[in-house]
Amino acid sequence: MFFLGLGTFILASVLMLVCLVLVAWQLVHKQTEISALVRILTNLGFGLHTLSIIALLIMQVSQDYSNSYVVGVINPALPTYLKLTALWGGQAGSLFFWSWIINLCLVIALNRRHILRDNWGYLFALINLIFFSGISLFLENPFSRVWQLTNGNLIDSLFSPAEGAQVYSGLIGTGLNPLLRHWGMIIHPPVLYIGFGAFLLPFSETLSHLILKGDGEDLVARLRPWLLIAWIFLTAGIVLGSWWSYDVLGWGGYWAWDPVETASLIPWLISTGLLHSMFLQQKKNIFRRINVILILGSYLLILFSILITRAGLISSVHAFGESSISIPLTLFLLASLVLSVGLLIWRWKKMDSGWEFESWYGRDSLFLYTLVLLAAIALVCMWGLLYPLATGAFTGNEIILDRGFYDRAVTPLLVLLVLLMAVCPLVGWSVASLKKLGNRALIPLIAAVLATVAAFVWLSKSWVALLSIFIVALGLMVLVLTTIRDLRTAEKPLGTFWKMRSRYGAFLVHSGILLIMLGIVGVEGLSQSIVGTLIPGDKMPLGDYGVEYRELTESFDSPEYLSVRAQIDLWQGDKVVARLTPGQDVYASRSQYVSIPGKHSTLAGDFYTIMLDYDSMMGYISLQATINPLVNFMWIGSLFLCLGAAFSLSSPMVLEQANWDRKESEEDEETDAD
Amino acid sequence: MKKKPNYKLIIGGIVILAALGYLLITATRSNTQYFMTVEELLSQKSELEGQKLRMSGAVVGESIQYDPATLDLSFVVAQIPGDHRLIEEMGGMAKVLAEAVADPNAARMTIHYNGVKPDLLKDEAQAIVTGSLDAEGVFQATELLMKCPSKYESILPDQVED
Repeated sequence: MFFLGLGTFILASVLMLVCLVLVAWQLVHKQTEISALVRILTNLGFGLHTLSIIALLIMQVSQDYSNSYVVGVINPALPTYLKLTALWGGQAGSLFFWSWIINLCLVIALNRRHILRDNWGYLFALINLIFFSGISLFLENPFSRVWQLTNGNLIDSLFSPAEGAQVYSGLIGTGLNPLLRHWGMIIHPPVLYIGFGAFLLPFSETLSHLILKGDGEDLVARLRPWLLIAWIFLTAGIVLGSWWSYDVLGWGGYWAWDPVETASLIPWLISTGLLHSMFLQQKKNIFRRINVILILGSYLLILFSILITRAGLISSVHAFGESSISIPLTLFLLASLVLSVGLLIWRWKKMDSGWEFESWYGRDSLFLYTLVLLAAIALVCMWGLLYPLATGAFTGNEIILDRGFYDRAVTPLLVLLVLLMAVCPLVGWSVASLKKLGNRALIPLIAAVLATVAAFVWLSKSWVALLSIFIVALGLMVLVLTTIRDLRTAEKPLGTFWKMRSRYGAFLVHSGILLIMLGIVGVEGLSQSIVGTLIPGDKMPLGDYGVEYRELTESFDSPEYLSVRAQIDLWQGDKVVARLTPGQDVYASRSQYVSIPGKHSTLAGDFYTIMLDYDSMMGYISLQATINPLVNFMWIGSLFLCLGAAFSLSSPMVLEQANWDRKESEEDEETDAD
Repeated sequence: MKKKPNYKLIIGGIVILAALGYLLITATRSNTQYFMTVEELLSQKSELEGQKLRMSGAVVGESIQYDPATLDLSFVVAQIPGDHRLIEEMGGMAKVLAEAVADPNAARMTIHYNGVKPDLLKDEAQAIVTGSLDAEGVFQATELLMKCPSKYESILPDQVED
């Protein structure tokens, strides 16, 4: 398996280099069309790369402990699916997997022929593939083996490190960290990687466009499906990570502004801005420069995010730890940045779309404010990430910005952004009149005020929470009323709804953002918590709930750990509504335990319990119970983000859309006239 | 073709930049922490008292004391270097942590925390602790973050290092 895996990987890498030479040779001879030979070799290379991945997977499942990576991530007791997913459980394997994902995206793009249509685009994508494959091959090789020297010492090496050394397979690993054995965490990396990889293609295509044509026209229309797909995966990846930390880490946190989380949020913010500005280009052929900058920026920031995660520059819970790849990765990022900026400057004049800032409250301007706010949040995140590095480099003492920094700097920007989003559908495409705006806003405003008053009476007195609830209610009402108004005036409501998928997809995404905001208000502003030590039969009240501790159970469900569970009845009024089983999985061999929360989820919120400690002799436990109101709206909202974008994706940007909007703006003018 | 500058846009831009700058500076001012090692903390004890700090050290397993009824948690951490590169040169994080805990002469500091005990708090874990020094020289933590480098890194040295 070692020879099969490494051999196919080396062959695949050689084929990549051959393609590189072929393409470069063609480009020197001014041929931009991708040749059939290159297509065949690329597909062949991908096949070999896939075989190599399969070989590693076989080693993982068959527990080939002569492989160092297997020693690191596998242990005999792991169930088979975890032995497979351990492919991305450690540094070497996940880098290898990442290079394969890039290859996958490249091959799909090449065979679909909508994107990467010329040698330049292919070249840039290929260079990325070669770079990451090279890192895998030379710096973090997943096929590296364990060798025993003649003096008995063990060494990690690909080939025999000294004369007389023998391959050794007696090291048995401890396996994947139990905290990571959760399906949210299992699918989080591949989903995120696909999102990352899918951004590479628009990036390469845009560089090629800058070289060959450079006026920025007609670019985003072609890239739109890829950008949407990439955005959906990036969003899903971030949400899965957040959901995992809420569900597993035990303290109910969903977002901690950890550097790695923050680093993955930056490309998300920038690409979200891109989805907005590219819409304007498709509609009015403006914002061409901004779009090109945002496409290039999204992928560069993804490289930056990979650097933060992989290089261990910043202390973080997620980081893979120190590694040798930080310097090549930094250089690669810098080279890509220089190339992008250089091409941008070269083509800057040609990309002018002649847009003029006309009105403070026209829809163009609202889109521009959206971009500014998204970029501002991204800048805050960047500042927070780089501040410790900069102070460390200049003063020798790292100064860290904590969570309070993000809470303080991001909250006002986020509130403004969501407010802008809430009122945006009220404003027409042509310069809107204030009077008309007032008429449309009346009902949503009344509803929002009522919701806020209700929240003030029953829920919270915090003004940030109240303001947020006001915005959420306003935004949802505006979206619902606008949809109703659209469909009532249409001749065939259902047909219109289907035709205008991109519009209602966007509405769905926006309502998702509003629901997420509602969830955040619930967790941040309204949650209640209590801690108590209980013996069997004890009751502890919290809100309108009560928990009753029945007994402590212990079982060996798996050879690896002992499951300790507290059996708890959850009372609401005089009824038992759920049986909760918070507990700990105790991994004696690792001297580690993992808290397993017991949860009762409803739309109104989660009742979340964690067993902090137990005594199996005495039978007592100490239990923390928390009510997180509205938290599930966060996950429902996140689902809306992905569904809405997918719904929008299913519709090509067609002429009907433009016609519709013309109709809308005519209608605007009519009513303006009265 | 010369266009006259769009003053609306320029003024708007300046206002936005000024607002963002203000936001960044005020948020930065009130939320900074120094990242320090145990030795650095001990040597500057008097100046640092009461300031918001973040420190990193190796958890000494036998010192962990936890009262689940009151959620009072205390443990001792031993000196590890703050520089990533130095740690790599010394043989990797897992090795540095193990040696720090075993070394009786390593600088040590007591941490006190009130809250849920983290799952990963155990012997030879790396603790990254946020909080401040009190008058008795005990580090009062407001936030704990634990990292456990995998053991196998230390079992298997890379070929380069031999």
